[in-house]
Order: sequence, then structure tokens, then C-alpha cells
Amino acid sequence: METLRRGLVAGLLAGLVLAMLDFVTDGTPGRLLPEALHWFGITIADPTISRFAGFFLLIVLGGVFGLIFGALQRERIITIRRALLSGLALGFVWWLVFSLLLENIMSHQAPFSLDFGRFLSTFPIDLLFGVVLGAISFQLQQQRRASAV
Amino acid sequence: MSLSSSASDRKRVAVTGAKERSTTNTPITLSERSITGFALIRIFVGYLWFQQLFWKLPPDFRGLYPYIIRESQHTIIPGYGYILQHTFLAGCTSLSTPAGCTAFVPLAACIWTAELLVTISLMFGLFTRFGAILATILALQLYVGLAYTEWIWTYGMLVLLALALVAVPAGRRLGADQWLAPRLQAAGQQHRIARIASWFV
Repeated sequence: METLRRGLVAGLLAGLVLAMLDFVTDGTPGRLLPEALHWFGITIADPTISRFAGFFLLIVLGGVFGLIFGALQRERIITIRRALLSGLALGFVWWLVFSLLLENIMSHQAPFSLDFGRFLSTFPIDLLFGVVLGAISFQLQQQRRASAV
Repeated sequence: MSLSSSASDRKRVAVTGAKERSTTNTPITLSERSITGFALIRIFVGYLWFQQLFWKLPPDFRGLYPYIIRESQHTIIPGYGYILQHTFLAGCTSLSTPAGCTAFVPLAACIWTAELLVTISLMFGLFTRFGAILATILALQLYVGLAYTEWIWTYGMLVLLALALVAVPAGRRLGADQWLAPRLQAAGQQHRIARIASWFV
């Protein structure tokens, strides 16, 4: 239960970082946020509400991935190496599921079609989400251990 | 009476001075919150560099060309324009497209790769200080070439931001350096390369 709670908090915070990165885009602020809605076929006509909804959806999805991260740790004390590698793997899954498969399917393209520009704009950011998720989870574990001593 | 009073004053001043020296020279330790905050700043600075990769994408790096032209015309260091004209802009026939330029693409590829390295290093906290040093050099180059074409502090701030990340080991939270740093420091006791590498985390 403890690892699940820690994973959830870490996931929500990593999702917040991801949403903030999507907010500070070139051009209009938050231009990329509605993409998260597009993955699930949701369209909101009002651009402001659409960006807010995308922002919160990213945080919620971060929380879900955090729970998966927590479940994978199975109540064990994890090392920083394991936390970062598990996070990277989850970041890769995020990229595969959302930025590649769902994005292509919702745009009526072949599921694995990809060009260099889109790969470069999504892959590092999604991996970063995973690294931040793993690192925050590790920090929370260390803080709890320190307070228990 | 006055002699003994001045001697005790001197003693008191000496003791106070020693106390002050010992407190003012105490090493400063960053709190967990401060270093995590710095790690977040590091990620956003890395993202700043990341976004700049897209308007000069390979294979032709066309977006970079007008900036090299501007740098060659507005540099603040005498001779820098001459260097650009005989390297990046050698053989160029147009001010708007890199047509005829013989060395533009390979040199632009080096710039783009350096910016990609800065991005990876700062966003993932991987050899962060190396990334920050590289960012400082790239930002300094921009300052030299473009400082007077925009607000004077635009590129100056970029230099200072990168220097702050050289000074503080921001990759040791929310980054790979948190795992790397203790290992490199331990290995650095025996191996020179590990010791040198540990300077950059």
C-alpha cells in the first residue's frame, strides 16, 4: 500500500511537470495540451477549456502511471538505479501508448508511422516524465525512511 | 586601569572576530527543497534548449543560416565576423539561403549536436555540469554574435543561467547524476578518468 501511495504522489507530480512543460511551448502557451484529449478522441471547442482539460488529464494520467510504478515495486525498498530504470521503462511505455499508437490511431494513420521531427519532439519528453517519476518516488521513500529513524 | 580595559577589549574583539570567521566560513548545505527546486530549474533550462532544436532541424539546418549571417554582421568582437565568413559562410552566394556554402552543413551539424547534448544532459541530469559548461559556451557565442541585435541581456541571461548550473550540482536530484555521482567519486579514488568524469556531475 505504501509503494502504491508513493507511486501515486510521484506520478501526479511528474504529470504536473509534464503538463507545465507542455504549457511553456513556442507560439501560444499551452498549444500542445489538447493533444492529451485527442488521444482519447475528446474534442472541446473552446481552446481555453481544452487546454485546461489537457493540463489536468496529463496530471491524472501521470497519477495512473505512478500507481503502475508503485505496483511494480511490490512493497520493496528500491535503489535509485532501480527507480530510474523503472521510470525510464514506464516513460517508454507512455511514449509507445500515447505519443505513438493512440496519436496515430486517432489521426487515422498507420499505428507505427513516425517521422524524425515527431520522434524528437515526443520521445525525450516522455522519457523525462519517467525519470522524474522514478526520482520523485525514490526521494519520497528516502524521506519516509529518514523520518522513521 | 585603562591598560587592562583596552587589553580586555582587544581580547573581546579577537574572540568575536574568530567566532564571526568560523560562522561566516561554515560550508553552506543546500536543503532537500532547495536542490529539488534547482533540479526543476535545470529541467526547464534543458527544455529551453530542447525547443530550439526544431527550427533548425537536419538535414539542411536551414533555420540557422539567417542567424549566422546576422552574427557575422553584428558581432561585438572584432575579427569574429571574418572567422564566420571564412568557415560557416565560405563559398556562400546568397544572404537568404545556404546555397553554395561548402562548410555550412557540417558546422551547423556540430552546433545542433552540441545543443542536443545540452538538452539531454540538462533534462535528464546526466553529467549536468558538462552540459551546463557546453550551454555556457554556446550562450557566450550567441552573446558575442547577437547581443546588440536584441535586448542586450537576452543572451547575457542565458549565459548566467548556464553558469548557475555549472556552480550547483543540480543533476543530483531528479536526474541520473544522483546515481552516477557517488559511484564516480568512489571510483575516482583509484581511476583518474573516473575522477575527471566526477567533476562533470
